[in-house]
Amino acid sequence: MTILEKFYQSIPLENPWIESWKKEGKKVLGTFCSYIPDEIIYAADILPIRIRAKGCAETPMGDAYLTQTACSFTRCCLEMANRKQYNFLDGMISCNSCDQIRRLFDNIRFKAPPPFHHFLSVPGNVNETTIDWFKHELTKFKETLEENFSVDISDNKLRDAIKIYNKSRTLLKELYMLRKNTAPPISGTDMMNILLTNVSIPKEQFNELLSQQLQEIDGKEGISDYKARIMLAGSMLDDPDYVKIIEELGGLVVTDAYCLGPRYFWDNVDETKNPMDALANYYMSRVSCPRMAGRQSNRVEHIVDLIKEFNVDGVILQRMKFCALWWGEIFIIRKKLKELNIPFLDLEREYVMSGVGAMKTRVQGFMEVLEAR
Amino acid sequence: MEEEFYQKYKKLGRGSWGKEFLLIKGMYNGMLNLMKSQDQFIEPMETILKIFLSIGKARKEGRSIIMHPFNYGPELFHTMNLQPLMQELFSVGLAPFHMNEPYLDFSNNVGYGDNPTLCNASRPLIGAFLQGAAPVPDLLFFLSTPCNSLSINYQVFESLTGVPTYNMDIPYWACEQDSEFYDETIMDYIITQSKEFIEWLEKETNQKFNIEKFQQTMLRLNEARGYIMEFNELLKTIPCPAPSMTGFWNWFFMTNIGGTADAVEVTKYTRDKTAEMVKEGIGAVEDEKIRIGWPYTHVFFEGPNLFNWLEETYNAVTIMDILGYYQVRPQNITNLEECYESLAKGTLEYSMIGSCRGPVEYYIDYCLDYVRDYKLDCIIFPMQYACKHAYAMARITSEIVREETGIPALIFGCDPYDSREVPSEAIRGKISEFIEQVVL
Repeated sequence: MTILEKFYQSIPLENPWIESWKKEGKKVLGTFCSYIPDEIIYAADILPIRIRAKGCAETPMGDAYLTQTACSFTRCCLEMANRKQYNFLDGMISCNSCDQIRRLFDNIRFKAPPPFHHFLSVPGNVNETTIDWFKHELTKFKETLEENFSVDISDNKLRDAIKIYNKSRTLLKELYMLRKNTAPPISGTDMMNILLTNVSIPKEQFNELLSQQLQEIDGKEGISDYKARIMLAGSMLDDPDYVKIIEELGGLVVTDAYCLGPRYFWDNVDETKNPMDALANYYMSRVSCPRMAGRQSNRVEHIVDLIKEFNVDGVILQRMKFCALWWGEIFIIRKKLKELNIPFLDLEREYVMSGVGAMKTRVQGFMEVLEAR
Repeated sequence: MEEEFYQKYKKLGRGSWGKEFLLIKGMYNGMLNLMKSQDQFIEPMETILKIFLSIGKARKEGRSIIMHPFNYGPELFHTMNLQPLMQELFSVGLAPFHMNEPYLDFSNNVGYGDNPTLCNASRPLIGAFLQGAAPVPDLLFFLSTPCNSLSINYQVFESLTGVPTYNMDIPYWACEQDSEFYDETIMDYIITQSKEFIEWLEKETNQKFNIEKFQQTMLRLNEARGYIMEFNELLKTIPCPAPSMTGFWNWFFMTNIGGTADAVEVTKYTRDKTAEMVKEGIGAVEDEKIRIGWPYTHVFFEGPNLFNWLEETYNAVTIMDILGYYQVRPQNITNLEECYESLAKGTLEYSMIGSCRGPVEYYIDYCLDYVRDYKLDCIIFPMQYACKHAYAMARITSEIVREETGIPALIFGCDPYDSREVPSEAIRGKISEFIEQVVL
């Protein structure tokens, strides 16, 4: 089995790494958002994984309780929770990432309560006062974990967890840097699998795998038979098949701007500071998602910088249907891209792949536009 | 309304308001015409007209305009002689005259959202702005809650206009010590942010915050809050002494002129008139048969028509909508710090903020209190399709309300701002079916 094939094993929600972890009698907590610092959970010797809803085919429960105008990711999650498909988790952690995640969590608590749950009130803007508040929230979170799971999360354990997570960030960034090459060593589809593995298995093992992957591709010939270099930006996306469609039509996804991607790992947590201060600062100050007011120009600049750095030919803006935040955000990104004369394609999608034919037609048309430039 | 009064305000509204205030002028004239046939509650109507006139005159009088959302009181703005402009005037204010719909269509055409995704309480502003029909305020202010639509709309407007903008974070947790969601730091957090906001206002408007004026404003605010609390108590009387829309106007006044002498006067007037009705044993609806809870906004494109229809057809009084359910109690404000506390408390408990900013339990408790305190016979949730945070609470809440109080609930989706989404007839049909087959 190649290293890449190993990454593919993390695609199902319950993967072999989680099974081994649980066999050791250790706990697993599911999280809903990249604003939840996994480091604190990991320092408690608990495995944090990002909750996904892969395999959800229909959403009657989600439609009834969250309504049909809620995004399909949240509807799928409620459905999966109701069908006990998250029962391997020892608890769930959520936050006010967006209205839909906030209410998903409420509905899960009432209709399919997990054995443990906790909520983080993440501020909606970034300044010294809100960072202080977030630190207070993180401290409460740490204490709740300690009390509920009878563990001690010392500063040293937090420092160790931060180091391990920083290592992942550094390795991921290293891999991303290679994607700047004219012949990038990895496809966007494979990269998406790696990003999913990053939030689905213990970090030490992820770091080991990713180090091996970096060694394996070192000096090897990269991918050069593509029509255009694509950036994928927008709502939460965890489906490699979505990227695969773009790449089968000749686009090579060389970088991205969504929550599992560079926003999650582009910078490191400061290892010299008090760990809770460092975590509060890092999570609040990194490139934000549109939930964070006052940072829109910063987010747009980040995208423009990535476009330049990765020599992107065109941007595919994908937004989950009914996502208010990303529609507003994309409205502004489009304006900026038009000003800079950067071609873009705006695609609406559902969490579960649908309308593939229509998507292929549009992506194909976009590739033709890019080729003609 | 007497002809003389009508003519007086018609005259006051004449002349150029400037292109950017054309829509405000349209709302003013629309309101004046709506009021023409009204012979009760004239004083509050006059206050509404004065609010529109005040916005229209702000530029000429050299007052900076600050745009703010529907869920924050304007006390600080009045203290600093700024003209508040509630953003939702472009939806709530225009909807009864269907004047918002062209701007919704324009927003669709330029790719700024669609109805079930972005709330139509916000979108007309962008459409109107892009067509040069909305004023560009001098300052923008908004909160992180209750919804993403509001937050992103302000961010987009800020990006399009470059207007200096301030955002305040409103946390999830409760400030009441007996709540399971209590957080002991939340009040300090809001007070700190409020003080930082004042510093920002000082800087942006190049003026010093007048502490004395602030304290005076807060005293007036307290007085008005007191009258509203008394009014809310009076609404518990059977039969209900005030028409269905009255509570909504209390919210409107607090959001536009809270902290002013006019707000004190108008809330006192409403309280007094309602108390008179109670004293005389008169109900606002003849032969009241049904008391309806309406834990969401009213259907704005209907104006007062839907509630009037319920009153006339079913002798049903709607006690108040979620905005009218203004439950900020007067606070002890003998010193400056207590004034800040009172300001913070008002921020956390404002209409729709108190019930919607946190876990669903806040909304459930609000509905249960509403049902029990006001002896409701049924509850109607007219949920807006794009209002994800509220719509996703309705089902759970209705189940719990039914379990705990035994009263029936109707949930239906609509767009309170756009009559073309679910038209009046369809809304009336759903309500009729519910009342005739379930409630009666």
